[in-house]
Amino acid sequence: MEKSKAAAGEFIFELSKSEPKQSALYNEHLKLTDKSRMADFAGFMMPLWYSSISNEHKAVRCAAGLFDCTHMGVLEFAGKDAADFLNLIATNDVNTLTEGSAQYSYVIDAAGNILDDIIVYRRGKEKFMVVVNAGNEPKIKAYLAALQSGKAILDIDNPKRKLELNPAISDMKETEFGSDGRVDIALQGPASLDILLALTQDEKIKEQIKEVKPFKFTQAVIAGIDCIISRTGYTGAKISFELFVSPAKAAQLWELLLENGKSFGLEPCGLGARDSLRIEAGLPLYGHELSGDFDISPFEAGYGWAVKLQKEFFIGKNAMQQRAKDYDMQVARIKISAAAGVRPVRQNDAVLNENGKCVGWILSCAKAGENQLALAYVEKESTKENQPLGIYYLARSKRQMEDGKKQSVQKNEQLKKDIEAITVSRFEKF
Amino acid sequence: MVVDGLFYTKQHEWAKIEGDTVTVGITDYAQQMLGEVTFAELPAVDKQFEAHDELAVVESSKSASDIYCPVTGDVIEVNSALNSEPELINRSCYEQGWICKLKVTDAKSIEELMNSKQYEEFLNEL
Repeated sequence: MEKSKAAAGEFIFELSKSEPKQSALYNEHLKLTDKSRMADFAGFMMPLWYSSISNEHKAVRCAAGLFDCTHMGVLEFAGKDAADFLNLIATNDVNTLTEGSAQYSYVIDAAGNILDDIIVYRRGKEKFMVVVNAGNEPKIKAYLAALQSGKAILDIDNPKRKLELNPAISDMKETEFGSDGRVDIALQGPASLDILLALTQDEKIKEQIKEVKPFKFTQAVIAGIDCIISRTGYTGAKISFELFVSPAKAAQLWELLLENGKSFGLEPCGLGARDSLRIEAGLPLYGHELSGDFDISPFEAGYGWAVKLQKEFFIGKNAMQQRAKDYDMQVARIKISAAAGVRPVRQNDAVLNENGKCVGWILSCAKAGENQLALAYVEKESTKENQPLGIYYLARSKRQMEDGKKQSVQKNEQLKKDIEAITVSRFEKF
Repeated sequence: MVVDGLFYTKQHEWAKIEGDTVTVGITDYAQQMLGEVTFAELPAVDKQFEAHDELAVVESSKSASDIYCPVTGDVIEVNSALNSEPELINRSCYEQGWICKLKVTDAKSIEELMNSKQYEEFLNEL
């Protein structure tokens, strides 16, 4: 395939194909589910489900779920330049981030391409932990290396702009990182706090954990394991934690949580439930509701607040200024029936307005209880809550094509809806 | 789980042969791979199919999979219970979750199918 010429300031990265890796909890999964239910996701063999997607989804909404997120990238930025460096490469403002707090942010190249959405945790004045998407980790590492070696452009309007910051960047998942190494295990759902508290007899530590507010974290030793305990997550659960532990201790903590969480209704959860929960909550997935085929910007995704245009400079600021001004499409959350006999809505199915005009497309969809919840990329006018919409299913079989169903739909095309839908609030907490 | 007395395809359909009538469904292996089935598109009664034609579509929350016709014949009956309870395919793939019945029009097409022992061996090699 011929490579297209890169735009100015564009960071080009091509991932070489390789065998999927095993997460730190791979052997734990094989104890709980069949190998055939593991699939290559973002370069790792991960479980799709253990009991069933709907059962695991329900557990997180009614009790708690345990997720292997040890495939996620965890990087440390340290030293006197760390804060300034993160402020340069990420869109949110690290200066407003206090110790023990976490912040959602974006990494964007000088041409304005979104490279990843990340969470920055401030562990100290000069110490940060940054969680990146597993699928983007190799690209982000290559980008950081290119920045540090002066090979990546910082500012297309001022190509001479040089990086004068030199933080120590390390991979916290690697054994070489040492005793403070970290991987992510997520414990999500209303019972998750009680499950955590049951792991320790120490009243002081119990109080310490209870005091952690959303997007804050603390560090404590529970059941002999040193944990960064963070009130963050990807399920929309009001009470939810991510536990960052040494890769060597991950399996021990996983087993301990499953064993002790049983009486609280804790279920191990696979990628299927992870996806249905985040869709139900309205949270974006890189490549679907962010960047991806439609090159969706943070503003369109509903996260303009995480791009601080008032900052004096960050990489990609010019492009973001432009994109903050002109956009007429947005991500909306819509509800469709999931009654018996209703065909599941899928990515790229067309979204129609009341007059049958195509106003956008489905990005992700999942069943959540009695409904299907979908995230769709639609005209701004159609994102208002309680707006009646229609869905047109694309052809998914030869027979449907013979019946005249289309395989793709353009915007403004006039179509007959197959099923009704309605716009609901952009996000929902549970 | 593989049931003795049924015949199988490499795409994990099963066929129950009774005279010139063949009942078709998907195997336990297939339903496990699909996950929770949420929709089944059934063929039209009287429609004619050749062996290997796309017969039906079974959708789960994560995928849409074509079901191929194991034999050549005409559809004489479909399992309309699947319209309201597609999950029967998960709960009872060899019994209540059958997809349709065909009247075989080319007996030769049956000869290509595997018996339960051959299918089990095929599964072991996957």
